[in-house]
Amino acid sequence: MKSNIINLNQINMKSIVKVSTIAMTMLVGMVQAKTTAIINATVYTVASQGILEQATVIFDQDKISQVYANDNIPENLNVDETIDAKGRILTPGFIGTMNSLGLVEVSAVSRTKDGGDDKADITFDASLAFNPKSTLVAYARKGGITSNIVAPHGGDKLFAGQTFAVDLSGGFASITEKQNAVLVYLGSESKGSRARRLQELDNKFADVQKALTKKQNSKEKEDKEKKEPKRADKVIHELLAGEKPLLAYADRATDLLALLALKKKYGIDLILVGASDAVLVANEIAAANVVVILSSIDNLPSSFDSINASLTHMARLQAAGVKIILAPKGESHNVNQLRFDAGVAVANGLAKTDAIAALTANIADVFKLNSGRIAVGKNADLVLWSADPFELSTKVDDMWINGEKVSTRSRQDALRERYTTSSDMPRAYTK
Amino acid sequence: MNKPPLKLSLALAAMSISLTACLPNEKQDDKVSINKNPFPSTYQALPQQNTLFTNATVLTGTGERFDNSDVLIVDGKIKQIGANLSADNVMTIDVQGKWITPGIIDVHSHLGVYPSPSVESHADGNEMTEPNTSEVWAEHSVWPQDPGFQAARAGGITSLQILPGSANLFGGRGVTLKNVPSHTMQGMKFADAPYGLKMACGENPKRVYGKRKQQPSTRMGNVAGYRSAWATATEYKRAWNKYNNEYDAGKNPQPPARDLELDTLKGVLDGDILIHNHCYKAEEMAVMMDIGKEFGYHSGTFHHGVEAYKIADKLAENQNCVAMWPDWWGFKMEAYDMVEENVAIVDAVKNSCAIVHSDSNTTIQRLNQEAGKVLFRANDNGFNLKAEDAIKWITFNAAKSLGIEDKTGSLAAGKNADVVLWSANPFSVYTQAEQVFVDGAKVYDRFDEKYQAKSDFLLGQE
Repeated sequence: MKSNIINLNQINMKSIVKVSTIAMTMLVGMVQAKTTAIINATVYTVASQGILEQATVIFDQDKISQVYANDNIPENLNVDETIDAKGRILTPGFIGTMNSLGLVEVSAVSRTKDGGDDKADITFDASLAFNPKSTLVAYARKGGITSNIVAPHGGDKLFAGQTFAVDLSGGFASITEKQNAVLVYLGSESKGSRARRLQELDNKFADVQKALTKKQNSKEKEDKEKKEPKRADKVIHELLAGEKPLLAYADRATDLLALLALKKKYGIDLILVGASDAVLVANEIAAANVVVILSSIDNLPSSFDSINASLTHMARLQAAGVKIILAPKGESHNVNQLRFDAGVAVANGLAKTDAIAALTANIADVFKLNSGRIAVGKNADLVLWSADPFELSTKVDDMWINGEKVSTRSRQDALRERYTTSSDMPRAYTK
Repeated sequence: MNKPPLKLSLALAAMSISLTACLPNEKQDDKVSINKNPFPSTYQALPQQNTLFTNATVLTGTGERFDNSDVLIVDGKIKQIGANLSADNVMTIDVQGKWITPGIIDVHSHLGVYPSPSVESHADGNEMTEPNTSEVWAEHSVWPQDPGFQAARAGGITSLQILPGSANLFGGRGVTLKNVPSHTMQGMKFADAPYGLKMACGENPKRVYGKRKQQPSTRMGNVAGYRSAWATATEYKRAWNKYNNEYDAGKNPQPPARDLELDTLKGVLDGDILIHNHCYKAEEMAVMMDIGKEFGYHSGTFHHGVEAYKIADKLAENQNCVAMWPDWWGFKMEAYDMVEENVAIVDAVKNSCAIVHSDSNTTIQRLNQEAGKVLFRANDNGFNLKAEDAIKWITFNAAKSLGIEDKTGSLAAGKNADVVLWSANPFSVYTQAEQVFVDGAKVYDRFDEKYQAKSDFLLGQE
């Protein structure tokens, strides 16, 4: 008991010190805005400036304030901190998508899982359960990932809920956008027919659209007496108005075409996810201006819906004019592998700049994030790499989220250090 | 788990007269013996071509690297490695800038037993009907048309062990295959490779059987299950030894009743079958080592040893190989304590045997990159490993774990010419296997469709 009391006292002491440090930092911050310049960088802007050699990027607090090409750098930068990249590559922070980051700690431990619920419907907002302190978040940063679109997996209903956007700072204010896209899972069924869900989706849009039109045509007096639309219907309204994307998981070409037809019929902002057969209907997808979120490594015919799976899909879709986003299927714990998956796509024909866009700007465009590019006014989510970001031998040297430098240290490092440090005492004393 | 004592063969007992059974010089019945190889390999090397590769960067698989080196393949074997080699009647290929390694070996695969497409009709990898199914053999579930074999070949895999799943304490026998196309399992079977016995620690068996309110439902239940099986197997082995000794002494003893489950366990006790033990955690591996000592067998290779780094010294001292992923974690509690340098930490101990395995039809296609991730993360954190070190984890050490290191797993004179020609350093994300050879026969060529096999399943699909 006694030792417990001492420990508590120590904790209290520590917290007090921490609080005062934070207070001081805030004070300093108020006195002078902090500006940082990264000089001599090879900058992948993923924006109109393309790739800049020996460039300088300045960020002021949380936003990028200047991007100078090497022939355009002023003599006096007038910044608080200067980092010499020595030619190393600077990219926008990579963005994970379609995973359960922060909604799962251990997949087989149900009480650490918050991504699904039998009763989840189109209104399901899993962001309420997001845990920025999950050990997966720090580990994800090792892959240069600065933000993420978290996707719940819903329950028994047609819609699986809605995605949300987070930064990977690990702070309690990590959620940047709630309920920013609606999820639906389509395709082969172990019980019943794939047709039913497609039909239900079509009917849902038709019914809500009809009710909406009716309401708009009704007289003002009656309108006042009318009830507010149901929460679920409001979300359908947002989809019909194109205010929010519909993320539809499907693989077989017939399902993809059926979804394209729904887009045409109702004007929804459709995003295809998975889409193993996308190459078969690449021209139709490109013509409909539909973005495809897919994996670069799922090349086996894991089902009859993915007979045409191949390592060259990303390159072929890009060549057909389809905007692509790279997301490994269902991966949360090892989402930091994104960059290696991008490397595999490049090894199989995708241009390196297109692969970087598939991890940054393309995602920002779909989910309306103010990141994913190195351009004035964008969030200072930046990664300075030791070399080519996709190479196995490369690591993150420095990274910033909203202009704050963040660590890539994770629980894994603490474990490694414990077991590689020699000691006369049991390992438990090495902390 | 608790097997009844040895069943006596009633039929045989009825035929013999017990009182006279032990008298010397009586007429002996035919000796009963167990055929250890009832499903023999019918593998034949594909058409071989004597080949001389020149100017390659060669990683031998045993820790050596030779720059600007030549590799001579004659009659399906590695003939010579060195500078400025020449030979008559060989095809000479200048491979300047490219790398040559031994064929890649995956000690943990479920290709063929959990094939693509992963439909219910194909889920043949886990006989989840009782905790000890040592009587089942993975080779009897192998569907050789699994398109995953071809995909793995394109990644340089030349040999692989197909294991049953991990639902059971004893999952059954694994089989080592050569990664050549065939329409029978026997046509792929690696002749003279010892069988493996799949065992499983931890969460899987206790979850599967605990849910059914039967043993094991705890880790202590798991261990009781292993020990009672080995105790029964010890009796079985003794019964056969007794039978053989008496028969050889001219008597006409009663043979023990055949028991397929115990045949496999006895094979382990006899040293014919190698243990391949799914076991994540440090404390469980330590217990499994002791069980091996208790019953007089070697605890073999630990697979998925996520916590192997915690007991690296002990593993080397006990001569266990450990097959590991570079970074998979978090899917179960027993996979929570992952470190990216696990393989390197195990490898750093003298007499260790660290292996990178896949257990995946996806990462088996890039086992070189899996090893590469370990190499570079370890070097980021104080190690000084080189390509010639990392290649061991997916070649020689893997061959050692499977008991085939005298035949394959390294580039040395006399070894099978299982060889991969890589476009560049195999530990780059952009590098591809360009040509793959098994026993000196080309089985894959990235640039020649003639050497790109296609499964029956994919033929004629649109």
